[in-house]
Amino acid sequence: MRLSRRTLLAAGLTAPLAACSTPQRRGAGGPVEITFWSALRGSQQVVDAFNSSQNRIRVVFQQIPSGGQGGYAKLSNAARAGNAPDVATIEYPQVPGYAIDGVARDITDLLSERVKQKILPQALKLTTFDNRVFSVPLDVEPMVLHYRADLFEAGGFEVPATWDEYAALARTVRDAFPDRRLGIFPTDGGMQFACYAWQAGAQWFDTSGGKWRVSLADEPTQKVAAYWQELIDEDLVFRNAADSKQHDAQLGQDRVITRLSGAWDAGAQMRARPAQKGKWRIAPMPIWDEQVVGTHGGSTFAVTKDSRQPEAAMEFIEWQCTHPDALTARLKSGTSSQYPVAPGLVEAGAKAFPGEYYGGQDIYRLFQREADKIRDGWVWGPRMTATQKVMQDGFARAGAGAGTVIDAMREAQSGTMPDLRALGLSTEEGAR
Amino acid sequence: MKGKLACAVLMAPFFVLLVTVFLIPTGTAIWLSFFAADQPGLGFGPESTVFVGLRSYAAVLSDPTFLNGLGTVVLYCVLYIPLMVVGALTLALLLDSGVAKLRSWAQMSLYLPHAVPGIIAALIWLYLYTPGLSPIIDLFAQADIEINFLGINTVLPSIVNIALWSNLGYNMVIFYAALQAVPREVLEASVVDGAGPVKQAVRIKAPLVRGAIVTVGIFTLIWALQLFTEPVLLSQSTPMISARFSPSMYIYDAAFTRNNYGLAAAASVVLLAFTVALSFGVTRWTNRKAA
Repeated sequence: MRLSRRTLLAAGLTAPLAACSTPQRRGAGGPVEITFWSALRGSQQVVDAFNSSQNRIRVVFQQIPSGGQGGYAKLSNAARAGNAPDVATIEYPQVPGYAIDGVARDITDLLSERVKQKILPQALKLTTFDNRVFSVPLDVEPMVLHYRADLFEAGGFEVPATWDEYAALARTVRDAFPDRRLGIFPTDGGMQFACYAWQAGAQWFDTSGGKWRVSLADEPTQKVAAYWQELIDEDLVFRNAADSKQHDAQLGQDRVITRLSGAWDAGAQMRARPAQKGKWRIAPMPIWDEQVVGTHGGSTFAVTKDSRQPEAAMEFIEWQCTHPDALTARLKSGTSSQYPVAPGLVEAGAKAFPGEYYGGQDIYRLFQREADKIRDGWVWGPRMTATQKVMQDGFARAGAGAGTVIDAMREAQSGTMPDLRALGLSTEEGAR
Repeated sequence: MKGKLACAVLMAPFFVLLVTVFLIPTGTAIWLSFFAADQPGLGFGPESTVFVGLRSYAAVLSDPTFLNGLGTVVLYCVLYIPLMVVGALTLALLLDSGVAKLRSWAQMSLYLPHAVPGIIAALIWLYLYTPGLSPIIDLFAQADIEINFLGINTVLPSIVNIALWSNLGYNMVIFYAALQAVPREVLEASVVDGAGPVKQAVRIKAPLVRGAIVTVGIFTLIWALQLFTEPVLLSQSTPMISARFSPSMYIYDAAFTRNNYGLAAAASVVLLAFTVALSFGVTRWTNRKAA
């Protein structure tokens, strides 16, 4: 790696934090050894399957905390110290940031045409900037509506197909059961809200002009914000964090009867609430008027700048993303329901996914239809973690009755711009 | 000659520390704040370190989240410093007046919280403030009073409370020591002139420990402007404390979440300048009043 003053200084600053990371090792004569970090469930099983499938490359896997829980800080610190793993797991929103920081390597030339053909183009577009590919998508996760079929039936509710129906049903549920709600407005849901805006046609970041044009409060976003503001003001949804004990209790006690999240969440739900087996079903995300959806979640694999075995790293990544055995290994762990970016794997996924939890519903068929409806042209921003945090600070206040959802978006914009300018990027402020 | 050598040897540790933990880091921060690893355009090209002048400063000063953080600590100071000074002085005067029985026991128990490291103190209070864990909230709940220590308007007072708990005893000891130095004949004279214990405390003793009050005030101000540990820990339990709640948290977030060193360095320098200016202003103001 190139040693610069900045790297050295940063290494000094973060040495204690990075001390726990594994050093790079090279097999002497034997197979090439590469390191792999991921927070994804079932990764150990995938790595084991890969290691036993061939004997040229040996992957050393380390389970790390999820991004927000310290996984991203760990990766950044390791990269500063010059010992990032060969392969790192990066979620879509963080890809441009790691690409700009030089942590994710430009892999345009490493990625074979054969693999490119196998991957959904709308997913690969999200990891391609300036015509260069910085990571390989593993899964693409259209948002879907998870709902409690038993409670829907008992209440005589119809599954809402549009946002108008969703709001009307929210009213019905609240009126019929004062302590129940149709759903929540997640105060920690910057990514859920991004998906709503994406679906409505928002363009938070636009790089088409050779600049980062930032419009976090553009017209479609305003429409979505006004919609959720009304649900909040009329007390039709609970307002709390989705990733919280409170929300676990709401779901466990049947007080919240739908969830809006990515396809992956079907697996997380099975793991978190095994007692509700057979009670959940999955339906398409409600729509406005066009048949389009956004995505929520999903991960990609990057080869880092510190990798000394980029070809081996790439081979492992390609296997993970496009080989049926990789998907089967992950789904067999019983905690994942990822929707693969390689359409060729859907059959394998449908077969490997244990379907009893969803009453035998063919959820992979549904995911496939929804994945085809993902709206084209979305771009994530250069400092998405920070942007999301500022947004969620505003959501938390809006949930507590101080400020509004659209205020939160405007604050997120004004809290993001200085950051991008200080990075030396060409920026432009769009509508707000 | 021998005297000079002794002087140099005795002073050396101070200067070594001053240089290594203050001057060098400050200089580095200032230097860093003028440079950045830039990539032109969208930022995906190779980066090169360039001189960017005041760009990072412009970014910090135009960032509403930084200015809000500055506003938050100013409000925190306005709440905390008067309570601290008045509280510590009152306790010291009570101890000094002999009203309090078991003086050394009282002094000990008031000072003890200061011996608890800040991070442990914050953890203790985090436990007491968190709904579902806190016995205090449960107790209030039994009396049908719903109390949220981490709500949108209560979170700052809750932090002030932690700081008071930690530091009241320490500052009280400083005041108490200053009060011991007040000449006894002055106090006797005031008694002869008919001053009761309250009047004596307010009119005679307090003005005589003015120097100590100013010192405590300035130290408390400097300490308060660096607010970090308590809100960082409390932020685990409440979304009302953002990642950029105070300037110190902003700096941490800029460096370690946003990986933006220039911005973090510029924000550090701005905070330093703000602190120096404010303490200088307070010193000037109090000195002029004394003159």
